[in-house]
Amino acid sequence: MNQKQVHRFVQQYLESTGCHIIEKSPAHFVVKLSPEADRMLTNRPYYWSFVDRTGAEPETMSFLLVTDKEKYELSQQAADAAVSTDNAPASGSTPRTAGTVTGTPPLSPGASVQAAVNSALARSYGIVPSQLLSTPRLPRDDVHFGSKRLLQLFDAVQSRGSYVYLFQEPDTRSRSPFQSTPYTPWLGVNLKVEFQCDRKREELYSFGVSLATGHCRELFHEQLSSLKMTPRLPSNVHIAPAGITLNKAIHIVEMTLERKLKAQCYRWAEEAQQRLDEEQKIVSHYYDKLLQSADEELKAEITRQYDSRKAEIDWQYRPRVTATAINCGIFHLQGIE
Amino acid sequence: MAEHINSRPPQANEMSQQAAGCKLHPLVDYQFDRSWQQELQSRISRNGPWDDWTLFKLAVEAQEAQAIATFDEMQCLRSLPALQPMPHQLSTAGKVVHEMGGRAILADEVGLGKTIEAGLVLKEYMVRGLVKRALILVPASLVLQWVRELNQKFGIAAVAQKKTHMWHYDVVVASIDTAKREPHRELLLNSDFDMLVIDEAHKLKNKKTTNYQFVTQLRKKYCLLLTATPVQNNLDELYNLITLLKPGQLGGQSEFAANFVVDKRMPKNEEQLHEALSTVMIRNRRGDGGIHFTKRIVKNIPIQLSPEEMALYNGVTGFVKEQYDRSGGDLTSMLSLVTLQREVCSSRDAVFLTLVNLFKKTAEDSPLRPKIWELVDQIKQITANTKAEKALELINQMNEKVILFTEYRATQEYLLQFFRSHNLIAVPYRGGMNRGKKDWMMDLFRGRAQVLIATEAGGEGINLQFCHHMINFDLPWNPMRVEQRIGRVHRLGQTEDVKIYNLCTIGTIEEYIVNLLHEKINLFELVIGELDHILERFEKEEQPLEKTIAKMMLESAGSTELKARFDQLGSSLGELRGKPPLDMMEDTTDKAKAQAAIGALLNRVSQEVEVRP
Repeated sequence: MNQKQVHRFVQQYLESTGCHIIEKSPAHFVVKLSPEADRMLTNRPYYWSFVDRTGAEPETMSFLLVTDKEKYELSQQAADAAVSTDNAPASGSTPRTAGTVTGTPPLSPGASVQAAVNSALARSYGIVPSQLLSTPRLPRDDVHFGSKRLLQLFDAVQSRGSYVYLFQEPDTRSRSPFQSTPYTPWLGVNLKVEFQCDRKREELYSFGVSLATGHCRELFHEQLSSLKMTPRLPSNVHIAPAGITLNKAIHIVEMTLERKLKAQCYRWAEEAQQRLDEEQKIVSHYYDKLLQSADEELKAEITRQYDSRKAEIDWQYRPRVTATAINCGIFHLQGIE
Repeated sequence: MAEHINSRPPQANEMSQQAAGCKLHPLVDYQFDRSWQQELQSRISRNGPWDDWTLFKLAVEAQEAQAIATFDEMQCLRSLPALQPMPHQLSTAGKVVHEMGGRAILADEVGLGKTIEAGLVLKEYMVRGLVKRALILVPASLVLQWVRELNQKFGIAAVAQKKTHMWHYDVVVASIDTAKREPHRELLLNSDFDMLVIDEAHKLKNKKTTNYQFVTQLRKKYCLLLTATPVQNNLDELYNLITLLKPGQLGGQSEFAANFVVDKRMPKNEEQLHEALSTVMIRNRRGDGGIHFTKRIVKNIPIQLSPEEMALYNGVTGFVKEQYDRSGGDLTSMLSLVTLQREVCSSRDAVFLTLVNLFKKTAEDSPLRPKIWELVDQIKQITANTKAEKALELINQMNEKVILFTEYRATQEYLLQFFRSHNLIAVPYRGGMNRGKKDWMMDLFRGRAQVLIATEAGGEGINLQFCHHMINFDLPWNPMRVEQRIGRVHRLGQTEDVKIYNLCTIGTIEEYIVNLLHEKINLFELVIGELDHILERFEKEEQPLEKTIAKMMLESAGSTELKARFDQLGSSLGELRGKPPLDMMEDTTDKAKAQAAIGALLNRVSQEVEVRP
């Protein structure tokens, strides 16, 4: 995922969860979260249980999300430079410049109180943290691939994007109001397959099975993603009757995947098994000798270690494949298939 | 979605009804997770709730972005845009993951970044989903540093174990001495760790210790042992370490002894031993001239004290000597007096505090009291601090970040006040501050303060490569402490020549000390590590240097005698400089021979790397 993709991802998440984007550029967002997004992202379960129990008006958090650090900081510097030249004649009348150490005399009584506070702080800390005090809290997050915030967004979309029931939006141009368009229901499943020994790789699969005919399509998600979908049944549409049960369709997905997986090359597994066997041989050689020469009372302990070491090696190297669903849904698509 | 063309015929039982658990290949178990099917059924029958189409698509996009396409390529660097590991660190991590199955001894020389290598391996496994739970056992003093590095450099949410329930976190850093004690022990031995990392693993070289047995019993999949000295005196140490990692890798104990060891210590069949070692151990060491440090430029700033300050100095010196003579030359009880002598070179504030404390401690009718009071009166006469003024002048001239070291808290406080009254922003740094405050002070210094005033040079986390000016406001009498101070600034990562300013007051003992350290030992320009050798040799024959100096000062009758004795000390130290290190001098003994052979073996296993600051 490059910065652009991250940026688009973040934007789509914020928009689809109803967050209020206050300010944005190709490098950043300033956003006030929607209650839904706040619950997912800010880790404030106590606050939200308080809101739920008392019915208080929730106050969601705002964030500065930076998706392109370099660009954002450059633009900030440019903006700062512009501000400081603008303000030069106005000599420190904005709160922004109150913290800088120019020693300009305060103009208003409010500013003089501020200055007193600052100097009190300065006496104990040698520094004036006025920037922190004068602006509302706006935590900054650098969002890049691998950052905690993005991983959290990944989790959030996973938990709120698992099961869907959708209809394709009809193409309005070619429709006559007197004719009903036939739709076919499909079971769509996206799957992650993990090939694992002491190392690991993954493959993603996407299948669609027509509930009318049992026909199975591959790369189903790719075909869907360009279509417009709606959760509501469009007018002038009739759904083809189900020819097979959902269970049968699920079975077709399982069988298709299994057939494809069996057709793969398993050199990696053979090599892993070889490593496993070698390690087991070394361990047996070592412990068998040890057991032969050991005192009786030590034997139990040695055997225990021997077994646990064998189990560790098996855990580490044994080749295995697991398939899990990323998400799934029922999709009603135009046409009969 | 890469697919591989298969050469193997499809299996006979293709239409198996049990998709949830079967074999794809005689060697490969296959699990199909069916939990989604029920959930989908139940949502259909309840007519919802249904999720959002955009989020559905984003979920797939997220999985596509995170999918691990190949077994071989390192994946973790995509997730760590801010980290720039050195080439040898990357290749080491790659080798551990791809060739060693995730069990290895990382035995790089000090300073080459074993922690980075371990972090890379851990991150790689975590990104691939092969490690979720990891336990990191380190000496207690390094726990917080590990937690910080893993969080900041690697984005791994590691926690320092403080309460029992924290063992259940995914990545826990703890001290091994805590971990092996009940009730922790029981809990840990009943857990499965995807990865175990042990820092300073040479402490596990003895099979009989509880630490060793504890680590043996822990259930772990991947395991890294970190140590700069995998073997010191005895090949058995190496054998034990490897047995901890992979029992049997070097055969049984007797086989190992028969195949690889002569006379307990000397290695034999080095070719095979080397081969066996290289499957479990990686050692990088610095190439010749691999490290290029920038220069150190030293400048002594002579300072003429004002008459009042000189009077105080003489007064204190006289007082200290008189007390020493009266006590009959007993050095141990003179500690606070020697402190007084050192403080008077720093600031009047420092002396004042010690004098007042001394005054409180003496009995009310003691003849000492009026004398102490006299000195306090002398302090009152002083209106300006010549040294502080000079320091201010220096700092203003430089107009860059400066770190200023003093030995005394009172001086530090005074300087903070003094600089502030002259519109110079300075922040303090001392050993007593907690971690958070130290970090904060560092951030302030990096950001907006021009000066950092530190009383402590030791300890972790004070890496100041961004600053290349340093002022010794006063000098410790222990040269190692001076070296420590310089090491904060002059280290890997420093790109500028480092400028060191020594403030020294003329006509005081400080003048002699600066002269001794600078002219005679040439401390400021020594190669790193050389000072250790000199002091080791010096202290073998005499007492520690700072004690020698204290004694000289107390016993000398006048400044001529003191000067003569300093010259003598200087020349004897100068002689020691030229000699080879101690351990090379006694290589007639068997022990030394064995060590040389072990060293040669380690060198064969290791590879040289270039390290640039």
